[in-house]
Order: sequence, then C-alpha cells, then structure tokens
Amino acid sequence: MAASPKPASFFESSEAGAADRELQRKLENASTRHLDHFAHVKAEYSDYEEERSQSRRIKEHAIAHLDELIVELTGKLKARGCAVFAAATVEEARDYIVNVARNTGSRRVVKGKSMTTEEIGLNPALENAGMEVLETDLGEYIVQLRQEPPSHIITPAIHLSKEDIGALFHEKFGIPYTSEPERLTAEARARLREGFLSADLGVTGVNFAIAETGTLVVIENEGNGRMSSTMPEVFIAVMGIEKVIPRLADVSHFLEVLARTATGQKLTTYTNFIGGPRREGEVDGPREMHVVILDNGRSTMLADPVMREALYCIRCGACLNVCPVYRHIGGHAYRSPYPGPIGSIVSPNLVGSAAGHLPFASTLCGACKDICPVKIDIPRILLHLRWKESARRDLPKWPAPAARARAGARQFARLARHPSAIRLLGKLGAIALKPFARDGWIKRMPPPFSNWTGIRDFPRPRPRRRKIGADED
Amino acid sequence: MADLQAIVARVKNALVSSGPAPSHKAPVAPSLQPDGHRAELVSRFAREVEAVGARIIGPVAPEQLADRVAAIVRERGLKSIAVGEGVVVDLSRVGKTLSESGIEVIRTGSVDGSTRPELRKQLAQVDAGLAEADYAIASTGTLAVLSDETRPSALTLLPPASLVVVRVDRMKADLASALAALGHAALESHRLTLITGPSRTADIEKRIVMGVHGPKSLDVIVVWPRDD
Ligand code: SF4
Repeated sequence: MAASPKPASFFESSEAGAADRELQRKLENASTRHLDHFAHVKAEYSDYEEERSQSRRIKEHAIAHLDELIVELTGKLKARGCAVFAAATVEEARDYIVNVARNTGSRRVVKGKSMTTEEIGLNPALENAGMEVLETDLGEYIVQLRQEPPSHIITPAIHLSKEDIGALFHEKFGIPYTSEPERLTAEARARLREGFLSADLGVTGVNFAIAETGTLVVIENEGNGRMSSTMPEVFIAVMGIEKVIPRLADVSHFLEVLARTATGQKLTTYTNFIGGPRREGEVDGPREMHVVILDNGRSTMLADPVMREALYCIRCGACLNVCPVYRHIGGHAYRSPYPGPIGSIVSPNLVGSAAGHLPFASTLCGACKDICPVKIDIPRILLHLRWKESARRDLPKWPAPAARARAGARQFARLARHPSAIRLLGKLGAIALKPFARDGWIKRMPPPFSNWTGIRDFPRPRPRRRKIGADED
Repeated sequence: MADLQAIVARVKNALVSSGPAPSHKAPVAPSLQPDGHRAELVSRFAREVEAVGARIIGPVAPEQLADRVAAIVRERGLKSIAVGEGVVVDLSRVGKTLSESGIEVIRTGSVDGSTRPELRKQLAQVDAGLAEADYAIASTGTLAVLSDETRPSALTLLPPASLVVVRVDRMKADLASALAALGHAALESHRLTLITGPSRTADIEKRIVMGVHGPKSLDVIVVWPRDD
C-alpha cells in the first residue's frame, strides 16, 4: 500500500475528509463509544469535578514555576544516573537521539506511542541513519505499516475499519485474511514480541514528570511502553518542557481524570513510574537511560498570556472526540501530529506557519472546553490566534470560494452596522428568497449570492414574530 | 550541547513577559481517604478487578496459599512458572510446593553480567509469573508493584499468565493513599508499575482485546491471615 500523496493544503485535505462518508461513519462510531464510556465512569465518580479543578490548579502552578521545576527535575534525574539533554529545536532533539543510537551501536529501535517523537520526525531520522524502527503501540504499528501518520492522539488508527486492517495484514504478512480483532492482535503480538526482545534501543514519550522525585510517568494499556522502557539496553524518554509537575502527591489527581476522559477507564492498565537505569543485580531495565526535554516553540507559547493555557494540556484526546469539525474531516486533514481543537492551537507553534489556517477550522461551539479535564478555554485561544493570524501582513492565500465568502461577509458586516438597513433587508430578503427555497433550504442562488450558496446551504427565511433588535433594551 | 541553562533562561523570560499566572496557589495535597472497613475494601477491590477483566481469588489464608496457587496453575494448564521474592508473604514456600507437584519453577534473584542473559531468556519463555504487589488500590482494582533485583518487572509483563498476590493489610482505598504509603524513598530508588487488569488494546474499532503485549490473563490472590 503506497502512502497517499500529501494534499497541498488544509483546505484540500479537509475537503477530502469531509467528502469521505465512510470515514465519518468510523469516527462517529468511535467517538460515540468513547463518550458513552466517559459519561459512565464520570457519573460513577463523585469527585470527578473536584479532581478536575485540582488538576487545573496544579497545572497553573506548575507552568508558573516551570523554570524552577525543570532545574529540580533534571537534578534528580541526573543523580539517578540519567543523561539529560535539553533541546531547543526539533533538529537538536533528533540529532541527539540519532547520536545516542549510533554511539551505542543500536540497529533496531522499538517505540512506544509518543506524539512528541512524531513532532520531531524521529522515525525518518533514525531510518536515514540505517536503523530499523518499530512502532509498538498496536494502532501506531498499523499506521506505520500503511506508511501514514496517526490520525488521533489516543487511537492512531481510528480512521481504519477492522476490514481495512485485515486486508493490510493479509497483504503485508501473507496471512489468511481475517477481520477478527482477536486474531489480528495475536498476529501483531507475536511479531512485536520478537522486536522487543531483540531491540537495542527503546524510545517512549512521557505523560508527567515529577520534579520532586525525578520520576517519569508513562501511561498505557498495552504494555508496549513498559516493554520499550525495560527490555532494550538503552532507553530514551522524550518529553516537552510542559510535562513537569511539582510533587508526587500531584500525580494522582491527573491520573484520576486522564484515563476517564481519554478512554473511559478508571485507570489505564499500566502506569509506569520510571526514574533511572537498572541498578546493580537487576535483570531488567536499561543499562543506559536518556531524557530529552524539548522546547520547540513551547517557551514562545509560554510568553503569550493567552496561549500559555494551552501548555496545561495533558493530551487526553477528548476534545478531538467531541469536536464536530474533527468528526467530520478526520485527523489526517490537519496535517499535524496534533489534530483537533488542541491541535489547531499548538500546531502553528510546534510545526510552523503551514498550520496557520487551523485556528479557523472551528465552529467555536465550546464542546472541547466543556470536556477538557484541565478546563482549557480552547475557543478563547482559537479566537486569539485568529486575531493574531489576521494581523499578519503575508497572509496565506485563501482558496477562491472561501475568499469570496469572506468578501461577502465583510460587506454584510458593513451593512449590519445599520439596524434599520438590516431590518429592511431582512424583510425584502424573506420575500425575494422564497422562490429559491426547496424543502426548507436554499441551495442555489444567482451571483453574487452564489458565492455563499456555493459553499453553504441557507435555511429558508421564515416570518418572524419579533423584530430583529427587539430584544435589545 | 544546547544547554539546560539556555532553556531555563528562556522559560524564565517568558514567565516574566507574560506576567503572573492566574493563580499562584500551591497545589493542595490529595485528601487521603480513610482505609475504612477491611471487608468493604476487599469487596470493592474484587468488583473492580473483575470489571477490568482479571480474576479475583480468595481471600486465602497464608497456609493455604501454596495449594491455591498450585490449583490455579493446574487449572490453567501451565507447565512452568517464575516466582519472585515476596514483600510480606513468603513466596518461597509456594515455589517449593509448586516444584514438588511437578511444575518447572524459576526463582528470580540478583544477577550479574554472566547470569543475566540466561534469566532474561527464561523469563521470556516461561508460561506464568508469580509476584506480590506492594499495595492494592480498592477504588480502581489496581496492583502497585515495585521492582528490584529479586522481583523483576518482567515477572508481571513477559509471561502470558500473570498471578499476583496481595495481603489484605496492603489494601488502600484509592490511588492517592497508595502513593502516599509507597512514599518518596521507594519511588526514588525503584521502578513502580500500577497494574489494572491484563494487557489490553482497543485500537481496532475500539473493540477490547486482552493480551496484546503483556499477560492475557491476570489472577489476583488476596491473602487474609486468620487472626487478622
Ligand atoms: S486540550 Fe484538554 S481535552 Fe484536549 S487533549 Fe488537551 S487535555 Fe485533553
């Protein structure tokens, strides 16, 4: 299966996603299941809201003291025998990891699921250096076999059906076709187990880093994070600077909310607390452990009082599941390792100006804000980013229909400043539009109104009982 | 090397330029739930363990533990088992009983450069692992397991069948209480794994499948001394 060519822009890729009914069916299916589970575990846990507020408070505190916490964490990690590398950019992080891999003579690399390593583009870098890289989270393994990026931060293969995966395994491994998740999983288990036992280097991300004890917390359900961090002789953990939390006592608040919102579980199957390489006499654990702490635009976000809040994100993925835009166009359309509402915020900072359109890809409905376990006001940040983006001089070109619609909206805005004009227009419009209505909708109008109906349907105007503006005092 | 100081300085500048954070309140310590009535805790724990697809056995008296484990091993048709050092329960007696009943028993212990590869190989091939949890968490059905040289992490990870023992006085109401009981010292020197059910995935159409990388089955045995 060849990689699908990368669409040229977000507009094209989102259109492709929007046209894919099958994709929407899968996303709807998965999101609905997810929300059901979440509602269930939330209702059962009376302290949920309290834990959510507490998590929020801890993040506010942690980010406000980030400089001190980074120093404390690195001191502790070094004291336990870890090598710590602070990377300002993607390139620095990548080069460091490739060098560690080379210096330790590593040939085979196993990876736990990590969006941060997607962000730095680690796999191609290691492969270019002659290494074999194996994604070991089942979903990541599947998308790696398809040579495509993950489409969700928690469920990377959410865009694929079991039939798609059955066909993929049949093609790649020559096994008889089956769409049974149990048999597909067993096949992957056997292949990946062999990888774990023979790998030289393991790489994972980090969910929380406890400054006080110098402990990295990695959570997962499958055991691939445990395997990647204990089986190979060399282990590298990659984390953004924002993952640091002050104390051991803080972590339970996050763990109480994270699995619930992420997957509807009370706790994930494995929560790994990792602090250093193996000690004298131990049979498992790495001989050598490295921690890469990545900035890559995060300190720029920190400097912006509105954007700062985005650094509280614990990557639970729930805002993706509730987002009407994400559910319509799918994760690939965002063309960033971080899709969905939070992705629209962090991507312009982490992957560059190509993602500058993303803050506009939102209805601002606020569902993300309501579900977010750390109460990030995503709509507010999106508006802030829209404002910043529109103040840019070198605005990227909008595709023609969108540009025309914008021009129309501008004219409408001008008109809307005059209440009497808008009232008159409303009345005239209601009469003039009537002949165009079909089944309550207006789908086609002559130019220049076709600029609007070309991209959106318009509800048939109805006689109103109350005058527009009548509810003003 | 891009150094740490440079990044810390950038973070510091950023914090200064964006003004004080909305709240500077130091986080409050979690409210530790009282451990409550033991029988209640155990029944809550048992419910949660079953809910995540593991099996609960017991309560079992310490002197019956070896026989109960032998019975599970027979019932699951396991031919070999790796047995770690206990925490407060004597697992060596269990190991002895098992090997007397014809099961191949591997005892884990401190290794050096020359013995390490062999034990690693054995742990990768053995049918089952028996370990003791340091604490259990009733509200989530979780086992908190520290690892060290006599109790490798692989015991509860590599074998397809996992058996974990926990003594009733090690049962905590919730996660915060368990972490507080473990304490800083343990976390600063050991690797800790919280285990909630068998290894699982929901990556294929959100369908739950057990045993993707770790154990497919998890038997949790609660030990309850008679005089307790
Ligand atoms: S922004 Fe909130 S809801 Fe979205 S991934 Fe981050 S923590 Fe989860």
